[in-house]
Amino acid sequence: MTFLRATGVSKSYGDLEVLRDVTFEVESGEVKVIIGPSGSGKSTLLRCLCLLEQPDGGTVALGEAEPRPGEVGMVFQRFNLFQNMTALENVMCGLVEVRRLPKREARREALEFLARVGLADKGSQYPEELSGGQQQRVAIARALVMRPKAMLFDEPTSALDVELVREVLDVMEALVKDGMTMVVVTHELRFAHHVASSVVMMDEGRIVEEAPTETFFSSPTHERTRRFLALVEQ
Amino acid sequence: MLAAFSTHLFWQALSSRPFWHGAILAIELTLVSFAVSIPVGFVLALGRASTRRTVRGGVFLYTWIFRATPTLLQLLFVWDALPQIWGVFREGWFTPFLAAALALSLNEAAYMAEIIRSGLLSVDPGQELAGRALGMSRRRILQRVIVPQAIRIVIPPMGNEFITLLKLTSLASVISVTELLTASQNFYSTNFSYEEAFSAAAIYYLVIVSVLMVIQNRLERRYTFSSARRRGAPAATPALAHDAR
Repeated sequence: MTFLRATGVSKSYGDLEVLRDVTFEVESGEVKVIIGPSGSGKSTLLRCLCLLEQPDGGTVALGEAEPRPGEVGMVFQRFNLFQNMTALENVMCGLVEVRRLPKREARREALEFLARVGLADKGSQYPEELSGGQQQRVAIARALVMRPKAMLFDEPTSALDVELVREVLDVMEALVKDGMTMVVVTHELRFAHHVASSVVMMDEGRIVEEAPTETFFSSPTHERTRRFLALVEQ
Repeated sequence: MLAAFSTHLFWQALSSRPFWHGAILAIELTLVSFAVSIPVGFVLALGRASTRRTVRGGVFLYTWIFRATPTLLQLLFVWDALPQIWGVFREGWFTPFLAAALALSLNEAAYMAEIIRSGLLSVDPGQELAGRALGMSRRRILQRVIVPQAIRIVIPPMGNEFITLLKLTSLASVISVTELLTASQNFYSTNFSYEEAFSAAAIYYLVIVSVLMVIQNRLERRYTFSSARRRGAPAATPALAHDAR
């Protein structure tokens, strides 16, 4: 069953066509990785999928309906933790401000999710005092606590020092094991190999190629994909 | 004859009731004008970012008028000309204090708008994005995320504005608000002790500004979002060009 789906989505900023009639879907519990050069529309596609951007044309559906706020979780390249809140307050924020949970209950749940990303002891720290990897794990917890039906990751490890990438990937791999539906924009091809069921190549606002992970890496059909993989794998 | 500085007269001025009252009045006038100028400035700041052209134009006109004309002129206009335009201002309730508070608030709001606008703009757009991704409304994001972060940015320039405002209250002496300058004038007019009178007034201003600096420092720490604030790390205060209003 198709779970999260974008149908014929297009999006322009002024004269710049960022997405051209893109149709993309993920099944429930499936993990898809999107790769492609910068400016190919990967981030915009993710933003359309969680309705951070309203597409100019086409539709986005989660199950039968449009996703409601918080139903599709989003993790950003630059973490975007609320700088004026501690790690715990960041995770509580959605529960208190959107779900209207009482503070005590929100705190209990937030602590549980902080523990899940291995940061139970960092609740009182401000983002500024955490490493990039820790910040990204808090950001993941902040999205997860809303019990999203799907999670989107926009280059979640690109802003991290090399030695911090692993801790974030570990958290993401644990999510995969739990059966979370995920769409991940990343250049971590090893991660893609490891967890993705299929890989999508985007270029110039279009999906160039999509194939099951093994096939995608062993025998890419498009010249554009081959060139890009050669560049990334270097 | 060269008059020597009389410590006696200085103390007499410093401890006199009119000086004390003048200082209280200056503080009251500053606080009222400051408090009014922040919400008005906030609305103006939001208006500047409006998608409606008429709103943006209105804000521009307001800022232009209040920044391009001398504060003294605005003060005199409100006190002398406004009652000629509108009858309501001719009635007893429109005291010199209210006139001064009105003029200074409107004037200050024009400057506050700029400060608040740059404060809001200085917050990383990723913060709003993250809030929207969680499903927070724009209003909530502004309230819980953007404004608290902008506050830290606007405290130092607002501190400067407070000081400017405090000093501007001396202008209100021309519309017979009996603030510190009026107190000094009344004092030296009887005994020609200019030095003592002005020194006493200066002391009041110095004390008021010193108290403000302590409060500002605390606020800056309160709105520094790291545990470092417990260690009292000094925050960088950007130097602002002196503006002669």
